[in-house]
Amino acid sequence: MTGYHPLGEEIQDFADGRLTPARREDLEAHLATCPQCGRELERLRWVKEGTARLPMHEPPLDLPARVAQALDSEDRRGSRASPLRRYLLAAAGVLAAAAAVVILLSRGPRDLPSAVGRDFAAYRKAVLSLDTASGDGPTLERYFAWRGLAFRTRVFDLGMMGYGLVGARVHRLDGRPSALFAYRGVGDHTLMCQMFEGSLDELPQGGEAREHNGIEFRIFKQHGLTLVFWMEGSVVCVLVSDVPGEDVVQLAYAKAVKV
Amino acid sequence: MMALDPERKRALFEATALPLTTALYNTALRLTGASADASDLVQETFLRAYRTFENFSLGTNCKAWLLTILYSIHINQRKRAEHTTIALPPEEVEALLDEDAGDDQRLPELDERWGPEVDRALGDLAEPLRAAILLVDIEQLPYEEAAAALGWPVGTLRSRLFRARKRLFATLEGYARATGYLRKPVRPE
Repeated sequence: MTGYHPLGEEIQDFADGRLTPARREDLEAHLATCPQCGRELERLRWVKEGTARLPMHEPPLDLPARVAQALDSEDRRGSRASPLRRYLLAAAGVLAAAAAVVILLSRGPRDLPSAVGRDFAAYRKAVLSLDTASGDGPTLERYFAWRGLAFRTRVFDLGMMGYGLVGARVHRLDGRPSALFAYRGVGDHTLMCQMFEGSLDELPQGGEAREHNGIEFRIFKQHGLTLVFWMEGSVVCVLVSDVPGEDVVQLAYAKAVKV
Repeated sequence: MMALDPERKRALFEATALPLTTALYNTALRLTGASADASDLVQETFLRAYRTFENFSLGTNCKAWLLTILYSIHINQRKRAEHTTIALPPEEVEALLDEDAGDDQRLPELDERWGPEVDRALGDLAEPLRAAILLVDIEQLPYEEAAAALGWPVGTLRSRLFRARKRLFATLEGYARATGYLRKPVRPE
């Protein structure tokens, strides 16, 4: 190997794990005895690791709402499509519905608790963002109405319980519109609520059933989260958090109303 | 993907594409350098992606697909605006970068304190070099997917990525010396 130096791009291939095992072995042997190529490798890794660690910037708060409005406009444009396009869409819809039936039959009852849990985790990881930031419940209720949610929302004030509203988004849960709003409590704990049209009968078996003030509650615990479901008219409400389970239940008891 | 009814399409798009907003916004921000331009670029990307969502194969890499659209829109906007040409660094710069400082000093860890310097150095790169870093090192796309997203052969991506990392090293090493993390190299007379 004396006098031989691999090309820099080959050292980069080594750093990026793109060499064949045989070539990797050759290069490892060379790097062990060549300080110059060792430094080259160290520099490439230094930059690669430094850029991978760059902080992520939060998108502007109004960006999700802007995107949603653009998609709404596109949907409205699509609904004014030609008769032929409508026919083709209808035909495709029949096929998609048939496929959906097959999928639903094969996966059994809807797993709404898992879907709500995934949304909570996505929000905590900042993968799921809010459309609008406000600490005022009535403002968020007006926002949901303005975004065209077909059901009435009730954004609870949990200030007395130590939770302040953060904001809301018009979301989709299991293919249906959902009003999602989030709270932040002492110790940076997060509490999330979703409201959507449906029924407790859609929930899978296995949850704990309780009754309080004449209202039926279904409680699920999974992956360190507690999810409490109840009905208000035709709307399902669910509170979810990773705080102690009984705290979530008591918050739900305090805010649920019989409709 | 077969044609979907509008509601199902919207639900699938929101579940598959929209969670990538932050990743797209960060790439857009580092390409355009301005928050307002980045927001416009992300909005346009989602709109075009939504219009052609039937072309996306569920189960494949949605981020790579969205970044392909984003980069294509960005390049077309740049061409239309006839801004600066997307030139690669001149050969002299490349030659300088190949110099070995012969310095055995330990490099400082590029932790979060270095974020602004790394971002600034990234912003100073010629755009194709910057795009290579954004997709491979920051968005962690495999070479093949990054090359497809940028519309380049894999060999071109590999070469530009190498030059981008070398340039970044040169700039950041300069910062490290200026801030006292590294001593100035002592060269033999």
